[in-house]
Amino acid sequence: MTEVTQRPRTAESAAGVVTEFFDRYRAHDVEGMTDLCSINAGFCYVPVELWGKQRVLRADGTVGTIGKPLWTGLIASFPNLSNTVHTITSNDDGDVVAEVDIEGTQQLAWGLITPAGRHYREPHLFIFHVGPDLLIDSITAYWNDAGISRQLGHNEVD
Amino acid sequence: MSSPALTRTPTQTVQAFLDAFARHDIDAAIAVIDPQVSVTVHPLGLHQVGADALREVLADLVRGFPDLVISVSRVITTGDVVTALFKAEGTQSAGYAGAINQEKHLDIDQAWRFVTGGGLITEVTAYWCQTQLYRRLAVKRFDEIAIV
Repeated sequence: MTEVTQRPRTAESAAGVVTEFFDRYRAHDVEGMTDLCSINAGFCYVPVELWGKQRVLRADGTVGTIGKPLWTGLIASFPNLSNTVHTITSNDDGDVVAEVDIEGTQQLAWGLITPAGRHYREPHLFIFHVGPDLLIDSITAYWNDAGISRQLGHNEVD
Repeated sequence: MSSPALTRTPTQTVQAFLDAFARHDIDAAIAVIDPQVSVTVHPLGLHQVGADALREVLADLVRGFPDLVISVSRVITTGDVVTALFKAEGTQSAGYAGAINQEKHLDIDQAWRFVTGGGLITEVTAYWCQTQLYRRLAVKRFDEIAIV
């Protein structure tokens, strides 16, 4: 029988997983980012909401169904997409909070924003939960999307 | 005898702030704030030092939305840092963040990150989406916020 040894989940190891997540994000390794998440990891980017005539679409679901396509699209629209991690704090329960600036220069349309070659840099707050298996099982993020719109030259709220 | 502030945990300190804010008791909320607190409210472009800056942020919200309800969904403690996730709901009754009053209802999910020390809050950083806020207040353009 093969015995698998695994690092225990501690505040430090949970923070390490999140640090690795942003390293992979910076390298545009979406598969690698997803590999750090459990199969049904929850995903919620709170500011993302698209108001249609009869319903509102939100970026609220799982990493596989919402997160991965969103990251892929973001990298396609902002080919130099990068991040700067300012702080990471964590606890032994697997909660990890990260203050991160996300930035990039727009080359393709992003939502309703047509590309004008402009650059944005916006502070984000990410809240992760890392499970006992050291896989991320929840990602929630907050930021001011108006800041991104205005930096990209898009002044319409919708 | 140690002061009550020194015996408060980070969670208790932030919970005291949130409870006071939820009942619109700004003086009680500011009572757990370090006088030299660092205040960053990203959606408002605010980066200041001092409890008065935070007092103004809270007062503007309560003035703009007198029936403001703060519903805290999670409080996450990671060492001396406490992150609170809550929804702010209310009906606009006065100008807020440049938006004129059209008596619209607001519901905005927010995350506030607090750093604590010595039983006081020494740093506050607030995150919410101003696009969502303006959308709910019927603002059409970021460069003409007062025009509807």
